[in-house]
Amino acid sequence: MPATTLSTLIERLRKVVGPEGVLTSQSDLLVYECDGFTIEKNKPDVVVFPTSTEDVVQIVKVCNELDTPFLPRGAGTSLAGGCLPVGGGVVIALTRMKRILHVNCRDRYAVVEPGVVNKWLSDHLKPHGYHFAPDPSSQGACTIGGNAATNSGGPHTLKYGVTVNHVLGLELVMPNGQVVHTGGAAEDQPGYDLTGVIVGSEGTFGITTKLWVRITRNPEAYRTLLGVFETIDDATNTISDIIGAGIIPAALEMLDQLILQAVEAAYHFGFPLDAGAVLIMEVDGLEAGLDADAERITQIAKKNRAREVRKAGTESERLLLWKARKNAFGAVGRLAPSYCTQDGVVPRTKLPHMLREIHRIGTHHQLRICNVFHAGDGNIHPIVLFDERDADQVKRVLTASQEILEECLKCGGSVTGEHGIGVEKINFMPKLFTPEDLMMMTRLRSAFNPEGRCSPGKMFPTAGACIEPSKAGRKAAL
Amino acid sequence: MENPTDTLPSLIPATIIQPESVAELGDIVRQAVGRKDAVFPFGGRTMIDFGLPPTRSGIGIDLRSLNQVIEYPARDMTITVQAGITLAELQKILTKENQRLPIDVPLADLATLGGVVATNTSGPRRYGFGTLRDYVLGINVVNDQGHEVKAGGRVVKNVAGYDMCKLYIGSLGTLGIITQVTLKLKPRPEEHALAILDCTPQSLGPVLDQLHVSRTRPVCIDVLNQAAVRAINQQNPGLLPETAPWIVIVGFEENSQAVIWQIQQLVKERYQTGRGLDVRFGSAADPPWQAIIDFPHRPKANLSFKANMVSSATADFCLRVGTLDPEIKIQAHAGNGIVIGHFVDKLTINEAREMLKQIQAWATADQGNVVVLHCPAEWKRELPVWGAPRADAWLMRVVREKLDPHHIFNPGRMG
Repeated sequence: MPATTLSTLIERLRKVVGPEGVLTSQSDLLVYECDGFTIEKNKPDVVVFPTSTEDVVQIVKVCNELDTPFLPRGAGTSLAGGCLPVGGGVVIALTRMKRILHVNCRDRYAVVEPGVVNKWLSDHLKPHGYHFAPDPSSQGACTIGGNAATNSGGPHTLKYGVTVNHVLGLELVMPNGQVVHTGGAAEDQPGYDLTGVIVGSEGTFGITTKLWVRITRNPEAYRTLLGVFETIDDATNTISDIIGAGIIPAALEMLDQLILQAVEAAYHFGFPLDAGAVLIMEVDGLEAGLDADAERITQIAKKNRAREVRKAGTESERLLLWKARKNAFGAVGRLAPSYCTQDGVVPRTKLPHMLREIHRIGTHHQLRICNVFHAGDGNIHPIVLFDERDADQVKRVLTASQEILEECLKCGGSVTGEHGIGVEKINFMPKLFTPEDLMMMTRLRSAFNPEGRCSPGKMFPTAGACIEPSKAGRKAAL
Repeated sequence: MENPTDTLPSLIPATIIQPESVAELGDIVRQAVGRKDAVFPFGGRTMIDFGLPPTRSGIGIDLRSLNQVIEYPARDMTITVQAGITLAELQKILTKENQRLPIDVPLADLATLGGVVATNTSGPRRYGFGTLRDYVLGINVVNDQGHEVKAGGRVVKNVAGYDMCKLYIGSLGTLGIITQVTLKLKPRPEEHALAILDCTPQSLGPVLDQLHVSRTRPVCIDVLNQAAVRAINQQNPGLLPETAPWIVIVGFEENSQAVIWQIQQLVKERYQTGRGLDVRFGSAADPPWQAIIDFPHRPKANLSFKANMVSSATADFCLRVGTLDPEIKIQAHAGNGIVIGHFVDKLTINEAREMLKQIQAWATADQGNVVVLHCPAEWKRELPVWGAPRADAWLMRVVREKLDPHHIFNPGRMG
């Protein structure tokens, strides 16, 4: 961006949000050069912090007038480069729009600003016996606006559904600065379900400034089981058998031996370090009948040669188990300086095959890969360990990741279950969809974002081609 | 069962083609575009008079020959089927694997999956199981260029690309012709039961409030007024208790232990708020359950509406609407704030307009709206069939303009 334009931009943004709401120094901008996908980086020109819908409208108008690309950002915990400022421009950080505006338990909804951290809402609802069901592992940091942008999942989405199943309405600042309100607190609003298609659009339709979300009654009781297996095969066969038997647990998560080492070192839960894999299997609901469900699951695990099936005896033991699971990615630092995680999905019966393939691919590329994932959904998260200072390793990581995702597609699956396409998986879109499929999606995008100035370079190989910057943040490696 | 909409041919053109393959369907669409004809897809025609009449002429496309199962990996609990399959046939296939799609569809023998998706049909169980947007994993449509295009996929979790399935659900065939759908399935419950609670106008609200905080977790909370009960009982004598002005039907589905416990618990809670509770267990629950699923299609009415609102407003809304006409038949999915009403055959259009205006005001005050489900075709241009204009209606039009720029799919249907 020419220096004169940049200084005009900064000056005008400061007028909108005040000097404390604009970051411009190179050291400050460094924080915003990537999200949880650290392989590609590019600094924005400016980061701006609105505190109201009106601020967002004004910011968007300034960007349009100065022909500057912009994109929304929450906590930056996304894992596919969704908030990577490809080609620079303005990052609109929504973390200061963090108010829970309204809670209505009788009608089971809440109205929140996009910067509200996922867990804050559930904590806020706890005294009333409610929670916000989507529970990504990053829920202590990620924002609800970000959850909606990427249509986040989490361990308990197996039973409760992903973010879109819990978003009733949105207020969106369109890329031209117009404010639109879709859906609402009441179900079945007439007309197209615009809310449903804006969720998961990864910031390419505009900036969400308010969300009407469904809140869910807490289950009366839980049974949380830890199945210990000698081999990954036995664990994955158990998953396949549980689903095949028609049981939908609240959560069904797998951790393999390598990740167990790291998690145990960090959280001291008492995981068996010699086990090939463990499954966290949780059923919830009414107290009545819950033991029967837990018993059926235990029997299936034992039939698949589980060494033991432990039951979390107390609520604190259950919480520690979940803390260990949800913070598993944080413990990966004990294994390697860098990691890259994938988010493929396969039909659940293909899990045993898929895990064997991951192992084969890792061995072939001399890479260590550990696995901790939403097994019940068939949503794998192989974590490829490496050192980003070693260019050859980086290259092998990218090749291995590519091969893993190719295999998911061969199994009839998808390349992303909950992290999104971002920039990371753009090149897979033509493998998942035909040119005609993609054309329908780009036509839809043009209804919201005709000039492509909002979140350019995302989701589609040709996205925002007209303003694709010369200084791309994309790496040739992809 | 009689199809109540057989007598309403006005929304389907005289020329009808029934393609035998998706390729043939693609050709039909391309040819229609070439002739500047519109196309009007349909299935079992159970909801064919929903929405506004066409604004252009064209050809009807009967999709019932596209009714094949493409893939049913039962152990993955998903199925991919063509859109022309009837819901009854689909459920029959799923039952063999002890699975189901937990969406209640009236006239399931006639209604096709494509039609159900296009109209976003739901019923009493939506309180426990949600609606189609929670079950549709992937959709194929034939687009305005005659290409079959897909959105979503075949696995239970997938965020690749825009989730255009959400747009197609409830789009009434205005964005493309649905040819194939992939669904997420649920296991059939081990046990089920219904509890029927008698209510007075005074107790209806408190009973619904109590159910909201009950320790039980119902999968259905439906309300019927006495006129609705009588209409149901006319076809099934003695099926539902007729003496109370209102009844609340509470459904449970889970393993047997949980269902038994919930019925016992509900009885306990009930005796704190009133008397009158009738329990139907297992197969005895099936006939009344089926009756409330089919009810939206049963009454002979010249004006039927569906109102939505926040759920706490349901009881008051039902009571108010009940005062408009002593013979109005009312059913509510009370846990979801959905109220369906049928006025009997004696309204004039002016009366209908006045009624709708009043009902609209009540629903809007509780964050909802009112759409006309059914009325004489000649009233449609005069009545607010799609309710009060929504603030995002302009954006919906832009979306449609992008996906159907030549206005070939059901033009005019959604206003």
